[in-house]
Amino acid sequence: MGIIEAELIRRACEGDERAVRALYDRYAPRVYAVVRRIAGDDDLAHDYAQEAWIRAIRALPGFRGDSRLSTWLHRIAVNTAIQAQRKEKKRKQLEAPFPDEVPVAPQTGDVLLGRRLEEALAQLPPGMRQVLILHDVEEWTHEEIAESLGVTPGTSKSQLFKARAKMRVLLAGYEDELETREAEAWSG
Amino acid sequence: MERLNLEQLARLVGEPPTPREQAALDANPALRRELQALRAQTAALGALPDVLPPPDGWKALRARLAAAGLLQGREDRREPWRKWMQAAAALVLFAGGAAFGWTVGVAPESGTGDGTAAVASDGATPDATPVSLDDARAAVQRAEEAWAAAFDDYQRLLGVPDPAPAPRNPASRLAAVETIWAASRAAVEEAPADPVFNEILATMVAERHQLLRNISRDGWH
Repeated sequence: MGIIEAELIRRACEGDERAVRALYDRYAPRVYAVVRRIAGDDDLAHDYAQEAWIRAIRALPGFRGDSRLSTWLHRIAVNTAIQAQRKEKKRKQLEAPFPDEVPVAPQTGDVLLGRRLEEALAQLPPGMRQVLILHDVEEWTHEEIAESLGVTPGTSKSQLFKARAKMRVLLAGYEDELETREAEAWSG
Repeated sequence: MERLNLEQLARLVGEPPTPREQAALDANPALRRELQALRAQTAALGALPDVLPPPDGWKALRARLAAAGLLQGREDRREPWRKWMQAAAALVLFAGGAAFGWTVGVAPESGTGDGTAAVASDGATPDATPVSLDDARAAVQRAEEAWAAAFDDYQRLLGVPDPAPAPRNPASRLAAVETIWAASRAAVEEAPADPVFNEILATMVAERHQLLRNISRDGWH
């Protein structure tokens, strides 16, 4: 942890608004990305992100720097989103089209592919979506996912394979985009 | 010949095939293509970018944090992009006048080291607006150098007896990129239609994304 971030954390623990705002500015896109994908819905994502930040700021005095702050915040965001989803008695229907104004960050040539991936993610059942996001997007292990979701690692694997297969069906026809993107990633 | 369904192929994205599965793959080009498509899909998911929160996200969060008693003191009412631009300008002054040419119109090589802002060597005010993505990338490079210089000065001011050299590595570059990224994002929030701010923001987002990927792949050094 750098000097500046340590100082920001110390001040944020004291309730310094500028320090809290600086931490928010730095990590909000990362936090929002994961809750947005888990929620599959902007309104829910907004609520989850707010709740995650409140939990994080409340728990900040207990942050000991054993992991990076970004990792710690990310865990809180994921757990908040998952717990919130569990509490919902009825999920919103997810057939609604993906909103046009979703502000995916990079403005490079992969925006269209990113949108298609986000649209497909939003169509997965919540359980599959959580596992796929945590494993393939966030690179968690099955053990970490199992602990967070309260399932066995085997269930996590099973859900992952189903989710990948479902995504493949949803993305059928976009092989060229995907493979071009992968080739660029390897060459870059 | 063994047939493999999509879920079995999905497992092979990250696990080795059994001999029977390998035989099936060897015998069937369509299966190999399907596995390749699944791998490409997984790679694309892993490269998904961050998502910007709603513009009013901080305002709503601030109200909730204040209501929960987690903020002390007066509200910070300064307009965000000005605040970030002020921070960037302070960094420039701190670094002895180096870099950030496009932000505040200061020549990159003209730092004096005495804490005063420098002027262009020919006495003219340099162009304060990047005209291309290359200009913006060059500005990032200069900002990185400014960051390293500021780090050195900061250590001297702290009285560190044997200051370590500034981290001229991906971490310092990321710090510089994030400074400009935050400033340009705040500027776009205030002036969403401004093409210059938007171009800078797009460049910074792409640069940050690529940098994070590089760091993820190669580490911080």
